[in-house]
Amino acid sequence: MTNIPSIELVNVTKTFNEEKVLAVDNISLEIEDGDYVFLLGPTGCGKTTTLRMIAGLEKPTKGKVLIDGKDIEGIPPEDRDMGFIFQHFEIFDHLTVWENVTFGLEMRGYNDEYIIQEAEKALNTVGLSEYSDEYPSIFGNPGMQKLGIARAIATGAKILIMDEPLGSLDPKVSKVFRHELRNLIKDLGLTAIHVTHNQEEAMAIADKIIIMRSGQILQMGTPYELYENPNSIFVANFLGETNFLQGFVLKLLEDSKMNIWIRLGGPKIICNNFNNKFILDDNIIISFRYEDVYLFPVDYDFDHSTYDWSKMQIFKANLEAARFVGATKRFYLMLDCGDRFLSIKPGNFEENFIVGEDIMVGLDIDDIHAFKTPENLLNELSLT
Amino acid sequence: MRETIQKTENREIEKEESLSISLKVEKFFSKPIYRKGLDAITIIFFLLVIIGPIINIFSTIFLNIPAIKNDVFADSLLGNLQWKNILTSLGYSFSVAAIAVGVDIILAFPISIILTRYNFRGKKILDAIVDLPMAVPTSALGFSVLLFWGIFGVEPGFSLIIFGHIVFTFPYIVRNMKIVLEKSNTLYEDAARTLGASGVTVFRTITLPMMKQGIIAGAILAFTRSLGETGATIILSGLVETSPIMIVGFRRQLELPSASFLAGILIIISLALLFSIKILTRKTGFPIKSVWPRIERFFSHKYFRYFRDIMALGVLIFIILVPAFYITAQIIGEDFIGELFLGQDYKWAFLYTSLINSIQIGALAVVINLIFGVPLALIITKRKWGRFVTFLDTILDIPIAMPSAALGFATFLFWGPAGLNIFQSGFSMILFVHIAFTFPYMVRPIIGFLESSNKGVEEAARTLGASNLTVFRRITLPNIKQGIIAGCIMVFTRSLGETGATIVVMGNVRTVPVLIVDWVEANAFPSAVFASVIVIIFSAFLIFALRAVTKKRSD
Repeated sequence: MTNIPSIELVNVTKTFNEEKVLAVDNISLEIEDGDYVFLLGPTGCGKTTTLRMIAGLEKPTKGKVLIDGKDIEGIPPEDRDMGFIFQHFEIFDHLTVWENVTFGLEMRGYNDEYIIQEAEKALNTVGLSEYSDEYPSIFGNPGMQKLGIARAIATGAKILIMDEPLGSLDPKVSKVFRHELRNLIKDLGLTAIHVTHNQEEAMAIADKIIIMRSGQILQMGTPYELYENPNSIFVANFLGETNFLQGFVLKLLEDSKMNIWIRLGGPKIICNNFNNKFILDDNIIISFRYEDVYLFPVDYDFDHSTYDWSKMQIFKANLEAARFVGATKRFYLMLDCGDRFLSIKPGNFEENFIVGEDIMVGLDIDDIHAFKTPENLLNELSLT
Repeated sequence: MRETIQKTENREIEKEESLSISLKVEKFFSKPIYRKGLDAITIIFFLLVIIGPIINIFSTIFLNIPAIKNDVFADSLLGNLQWKNILTSLGYSFSVAAIAVGVDIILAFPISIILTRYNFRGKKILDAIVDLPMAVPTSALGFSVLLFWGIFGVEPGFSLIIFGHIVFTFPYIVRNMKIVLEKSNTLYEDAARTLGASGVTVFRTITLPMMKQGIIAGAILAFTRSLGETGATIILSGLVETSPIMIVGFRRQLELPSASFLAGILIIISLALLFSIKILTRKTGFPIKSVWPRIERFFSHKYFRYFRDIMALGVLIFIILVPAFYITAQIIGEDFIGELFLGQDYKWAFLYTSLINSIQIGALAVVINLIFGVPLALIITKRKWGRFVTFLDTILDIPIAMPSAALGFATFLFWGPAGLNIFQSGFSMILFVHIAFTFPYMVRPIIGFLESSNKGVEEAARTLGASNLTVFRRITLPNIKQGIIAGCIMVFTRSLGETGATIVVMGNVRTVPVLIVDWVEANAFPSAVFASVIVIIFSAFLIFALRAVTKKRSD
């Protein structure tokens, strides 16, 4: 295998309405052969436009799109040999299921024998072979999208492009369907790009995730990397359930660590200061996941426990409420300074905390991420 | 899914690639340069056939100012009598149009509600019959109205013109009101009722504002049709001269400067009306703020509703439907065999040739408008040329709004001896005029279908490897097929029924509507009745075909 990426975007910009709307803002990315990559971001972040530029349905205003190292500018979509799967299926409803699946093969001028073989194979793959003579109107949404997938893979295209392919499906159906989709893509050895605004979907089946916002790429990496090391408040907030607290740097410590004070009256805790990014008195935001918050009774004896507490930050908080929501229990906590945060535990978590009383909270240093306080915090914390 | 993936190594088949001829040709001609070429030809055709004559008539007026001044304002014998006559004719035209449209609107409210919100046996048939006068040649309708009101001793003149115009403009208004009523959501009305509004209040505050666009569009369309109508008016006018009749008169007496002057005035008026649609639909408000719940609750009583519905149906039948089709009953009593088939002047031969002419002109207009109409519809819906597309979209409707006699005269000046001198009066000139005034009727329905059709499937087809033209043939065309058929039928119907534009450019050639006018003027009533009934039956067939085509869409 070569080192040339399968799909590469170099400084691509796209504007609409005579440069009034900036949809994609100077992005570059590489997608390796055989990778299943997600473009994830809120509505209007430019992910679909990026996808359409790769497929040739939109022209980049600036920059280059390379496929296997070759610039494909000026090549119309019909000659790019990519499979495209649409959110709203875009099935040809005046053609039968069979005619839909053979459409792309026919356009490539293959002989009849080959067309029949490949179309049958594609219909078998999605389990629709018994419907080949029917019109697509008999299908519900899942059937429509299966047909959409069969139609796209039948041509033998090695790159599969998907724009919210599960977005029109019922949430429960989509949860099952997404694993089938991933298996199919992996079995066929396709390079796939999948656009979605659904974080959970991306986390569940992606090889890599590219997070976009306002036309720019914020971060790319494996689901694990993004979840464990978000590089911005937005990414931390967008993936998973996250607490944010405001504070400032009280003291710089050795080993790239710092002591911070969560507002006046709040607890003082130690967290990482990689590359000594922060200096004394910096205003910062710390984030930690709901599930990373440990809870102990207020009289817990830390000194005589077998666990290594050296990395754990312990402080007191008031338990405002506890809610049982099936698989999980949620604990609503408040600090002395008035800031609130949440802890999430398995539904079978055993405790005898009393609502309204103080409990002890533990946070692992490595679970706490610190960010500079942005000028517009609300904007960073909004999910759009 | 996973289990069903079949390993295919053991049945590997050689894939040969050879595009079929049609795909190759389409791929070749899908290159941008050919598309640009077709766009250019289409736009040139459009501008030349439709806009050329209009621009030309204004330059003619400008160049002939002295002659116009001499003929119209300062004739050596008559002084400015011509100008006074023109003003009188404009007065007649406007009052006829205003009264007819006013009556139509009042009647159209209950009728359009009955036809959309009620369910009863024979609703579809009533709906088709209400539409029918739109398809029948106005000269046949006018003749029928003449015969019907003749029973009650109504002589040709101002009031008879109004009766005639009410008949053929009514469908335009009902049609547009029905469209908005069908589109509007009855849930809003239900919501208003649950909030305590009575029937009349709901209508005034909820239904009426939703119908606004339909009412204004329908009213202006009907107004311009009435303003420009010739065929029925000639038959019903007696000594009264409306403006289109006056143009026909000027043309017959070869008073070309006066004719172009009046045609120019009419064109300006109709353009002003056309552009006022866009402004009016945006700015007009209806009184929804002040509320008179008690009075309206009183009038919401169901007896008032019954009264209203019965009155409306009565007026519809007695003022519109019976006068329009009274002529079909007349055919039994008339001795058309003696006059038409046994007479010395071979009337049946004239009828036969004019029928053939009408059908040929209609068919050719359909073909030519189809060739240029589809590309123009694609340009207006697909090209991203900003203002230019808006401009094309707006001027496309000009021929609908313009009096056809004025458009016909403009075309005569542009292509005829006085202008480019390419065509003489006669068959080809009639064809040219018919192409011009029917063009929007072809393009509009296609645009409608293109706009409502899903663009995603076209993109899907392209990602699957289909070139632009292949996408058009395999995907777009099946989706807009009904729009194209509807356009073809509309063009043919309008061409078949046209009188004014034909009279101005026909020379010695006759079409059926003109023949009916000739025969009525020559008092050859039995033959005129026979010719009218033939075209009425023919048009009825066409309108039922049109409804069958457009109905499928909603299924």
